[in-house]
Amino acid sequence: MSNPAIEFREVTKVYRRRLGGTEICALTNVSFEVSPGQVCAFLGPNGAGKTTGISILMGFLYPDSGAIRVLGYEPGDVRAKQQIGFVPENFAFYKHLSAEKLMRFHFALSGRPVIGTEELIRELLLKVKLNGYERLKIAKYSRGMVQRLGIAQAMLGNPQLLVLDEPTSGLDPAGRKEVRDLMSSLKAEGKTIFLSSHLLSEVEQICDRVVIVDRGRLVRSGTMEELLGSSDRVEIVIDQLPHPTLPALEECGAAIERGAHGVKITVNTMRKRELAEALWAAGCDVISITPVRSSLEELFLKLVGNGGGPV
Amino acid sequence: MKIRTIAFNTFGSFLRDKLIILFCIVFACVVLLMMTPMLAVKAMTTVSNAQQMQAMVLGIVATIMSMMSGFGSLLAAWAAADSVATEMKSGTILAVMARPVERWEFLLGKFLGVMLMMAIYVLLMFGLSYLLAWMGGERIQSTPWVLLVYPMVRYAMYAAIAMLLVTVFHSVVTFGIVLGLSVLALMVAPTSRSSTIMMRFIRIPLYQVLPSTTLLSEDRFLSITHASLKQVGWLDHATTLAYGLDYALVYLLLAMLSFHYRSLKRD
Repeated sequence: MSNPAIEFREVTKVYRRRLGGTEICALTNVSFEVSPGQVCAFLGPNGAGKTTGISILMGFLYPDSGAIRVLGYEPGDVRAKQQIGFVPENFAFYKHLSAEKLMRFHFALSGRPVIGTEELIRELLLKVKLNGYERLKIAKYSRGMVQRLGIAQAMLGNPQLLVLDEPTSGLDPAGRKEVRDLMSSLKAEGKTIFLSSHLLSEVEQICDRVVIVDRGRLVRSGTMEELLGSSDRVEIVIDQLPHPTLPALEECGAAIERGAHGVKITVNTMRKRELAEALWAAGCDVISITPVRSSLEELFLKLVGNGGGPV
Repeated sequence: MKIRTIAFNTFGSFLRDKLIILFCIVFACVVLLMMTPMLAVKAMTTVSNAQQMQAMVLGIVATIMSMMSGFGSLLAAWAAADSVATEMKSGTILAVMARPVERWEFLLGKFLGVMLMMAIYVLLMFGLSYLLAWMGGERIQSTPWVLLVYPMVRYAMYAAIAMLLVTVFHSVVTFGIVLGLSVLALMVAPTSRSSTIMMRFIRIPLYQVLPSTTLLSEDRFLSITHASLKQVGWLDHATTLAYGLDYALVYLLLAMLSFHYRSLKRD
């Protein structure tokens, strides 16, 4: 088995005020792993410790205890940073530069020769739909354009790991979809992506793995299947509900929901066959039988909505 | 390559820094205002008062040059402090440090950016010295490198001190401390008149610890009022410059150490 791309082991970070001695525990014994090629979402309510976690991962902050490995190196190690693309939350740029000059600046910081990079820079800006704005000063960019530029610079140098802190913040629905598509294509290329986001429906669409933190503590970590695919209920959709079947449904403990396109019956998996046959025998047209999968949003609210708690 | 990129970017930022531009404009206005009485005195010179007027002119020239030299130290300190603090405040440091850049490389790049700006300042000061001396009717008989290297080393010291302080304090606090240190350094200098009132056991240790700008002042070798170079051997030059460079290096290394352990986040 290959080494994890990201490994957090019992990581704790406490913020201390210089005067006054107040202590805020941003992360407490957080442990998780992200395998190479996975897209992992780092979720939590505001103030849960997501940005602290990402800052530790990038080597901007030092943990008080615990061990972290990024691509096999310590956080902040230049060998790891050579393979990482990073988009911070509310990305800030040198406003006097144009997108083209900023990309060239970041290219030079990567230690690569800047000469002959024009084509690559143009391609990356085209990817994030900033072509035509290459020479415009960043100060004149909209927030969405700045965010897209952040994503473009993160992709410089073909990184193996992308760390994205709220990559879709400030983007309109079309922009969010573009970023989502971009992440899907990066996932298809085998890149590892570690992102924090509040847009759970988007996370659900592209992520393989989820790490949920609340008040600095890990509340749940696992693959999407592990977290969402363990429901014991199925949903049977039929065209109409004949009156004689009602006692059988009540006996099964089914929940009935009538809609414009049919009737939705939710029942325990154990009784699905029995109920489907009864409905069929009563002359109903069974349109679909699908397992009920709770959404990530439901799970998230269940875990952190009431304050959450450690696993 | 990375250090050079950071240095040039820092220098580019200074050219657009409104506060630095404003400081420079105000200072240029003060210098021009001070030149007015000098030119007036020069115009009023007659054969009978020539010697007295010449002394006045040269006195004004010397004052302008001292002011400019002192302002340079403060400019170096402010620029160094601001260059790091602005990156922290705006959050641009996060994008830079996410690149394969070591923390010391970032700080060294910033320092070199400051020194690049100060090199231009020193060149301007150098040109002004010759211009003012010419206007004052004197000719500077100095080896030019003294007028170029000494201020550069002095400014390197101030920039390094500011860089160390800004890794711990806010840029305004840093500037205030540097300003205080420079005033104190002048007070404890052996040449200072006020130093006589200080107790000897306080003055000497302070003089050794503080950036001794009087030691690195080009005035030690050149007095514009006489416009002649004092004869100083190479060993004296080398020792004095080595002192300044060593001082700057120690502070820069301390700044790098302090910056290494600093949390990088948007302030």
